[in-house]
Amino acid sequence: MTDTTPLLEATGIDHDYGTVSVLRDVSVTIECGRVTALIGPNGAGKSTLIRDLAGLHEPTAGTITYNGPDTAREIGYLPQHPAFRPGFTALETLQFYASLVGDDETDAMAQLERVGLENAADRPVEALSGGMTRLLGIAQATIGDPPIVILDEPGSGLDPSMGLHVFDVAADLADEGIAVLLSSHDLELVEQVADDLLILADGRVAEQGSIADVRARVGGSSLRQVYEHAVGGHRDTVQVVGDHA
Amino acid sequence: MSGDVNTPSDSTRDRPTEQFGRSQSTAPGPRHILRTIIGRELRTLVRTRTFFILTLAFAAVVLGISSVSGSVQGGYVPTLVDLLTPLELLVPVVAIAFGYRAILGDAERGELDVLKTYPVSSREIVAGVYVGRAIGLLTAIVAPLVVTVLLVFVAEEEGRTLYASHSGVDSPILFGRFIVLTILFALTVLAIAIAISAVVSGTRSAIALSVVALVVLLVGFDLALVYGFSAGSIGDGSLVYALALSPLSAYRGLVFESAIVVASGTGPAAASPIASLVSLVVWTATSLGIATWVLNR
Repeated sequence: MTDTTPLLEATGIDHDYGTVSVLRDVSVTIECGRVTALIGPNGAGKSTLIRDLAGLHEPTAGTITYNGPDTAREIGYLPQHPAFRPGFTALETLQFYASLVGDDETDAMAQLERVGLENAADRPVEALSGGMTRLLGIAQATIGDPPIVILDEPGSGLDPSMGLHVFDVAADLADEGIAVLLSSHDLELVEQVADDLLILADGRVAEQGSIADVRARVGGSSLRQVYEHAVGGHRDTVQVVGDHA
Repeated sequence: MSGDVNTPSDSTRDRPTEQFGRSQSTAPGPRHILRTIIGRELRTLVRTRTFFILTLAFAAVVLGISSVSGSVQGGYVPTLVDLLTPLELLVPVVAIAFGYRAILGDAERGELDVLKTYPVSSREIVAGVYVGRAIGLLTAIVAPLVVTVLLVFVAEEEGRTLYASHSGVDSPILFGRFIVLTILFALTVLAIAIAISAVVSGTRSAIALSVVALVVLLVGFDLALVYGFSAGSIGDGSLVYALALSPLSAYRGLVFESAIVVASGTGPAAASPIASLVSLVVWTATSLGIATWVLNR
């Protein structure tokens, strides 16, 4: 990919919930073929930023620009706690979503295979494990081959091997040219998989750039050290994010 | 690049297609989207035991009333007279049960958020859910009424043995009108249920609001009309129009005007048919409009 124009550009994003300011002047770019990891303490505004970028709600201020190709679905999205309508199999669930972008059963099955869930195609969604449900959610996020896939804490609550598998799937998506943005608290997996880093702290961008650049700028031999340096704060105090706007 | 959207705030989303809209050439058309959503609703109804039990219970009550009361031997109009009051209660209950969680379920699971990343408008979601649920609801309601018509037909063939207190110009056409009006009433209440399912944020509030809606619908409006009439704020001349404001009164009035009064041949005006029909349509359109607006927020 020689075109360096980011697929998604967010500039000066503010997001207020009533009088509480959750995001302040956040700017971020999402580039194709790269995994961008969004990390930060609980309540730093990660999910709010993700929902803004995915178009689920409008930021209070700022600009979000999509520069990707004209397609039926521009952004795929995995919610933090994916769940599906009971009474349907995994394949039927994906068929429903696939039909919304004009795809058929073959395409739905291909997305299941992409995440390694083909053997569970006929299993009811309510009988899927937490990890399998997350994988089905990722398969859903890739329906319609969106150029951008946003995953909200895809590894949350999964055992180590399933968490690794989920991150591997995200890396594979990037290898196929998709721009992947994922949020996570698992810094080891982020370090293994992510190309770029966006550290949010107190609703602001604390650090941003490729992992190598951020590490060189901030210092520290591991991502954990980079994270602690960037986020700061005290471990024995819960950070209450969101100044009054 | 098209579609700069300036919100009331200072934010701008600059992309080929605004979310919840469709300008991409590769997106399927509205008919395909609607078919997909309707199909999902129908499969959900077929696979959910609760709806099946509800349908059986409704059929048992309708067939039980018309058979046990002996009205099927009396004819079509006596049967519809016997069924009218039970249906005034049962149709709203069944319609609310079919719709009160229709959109809420997707919202609770986060699927509504996911749908926003697809080329599907909120109008299509509401319309698809409504039509899908309506097909299931009408199947549940119309099937036992059609069986009742057949029972009356068979009883007529065997000869009437009971005195029909409502006998006048008895006709299956009058019962057909009753079925059509019951369908309209059911569709209206279902639309209200869909609005409830879009407005609420949890199952408890959905149940609470559904109960409130049922009480207002079944009792509240009628009590208000009685109070207004007795207090003199509703005059004799405007009573039939005031009755049209309530979906239940509108339905009842339409049944009286188009079936019962026709059969009896005489009687005072029970309702304004036009006003009653307009009321049902307005209730339906407003409810679906509210649901769409809530999803668009």
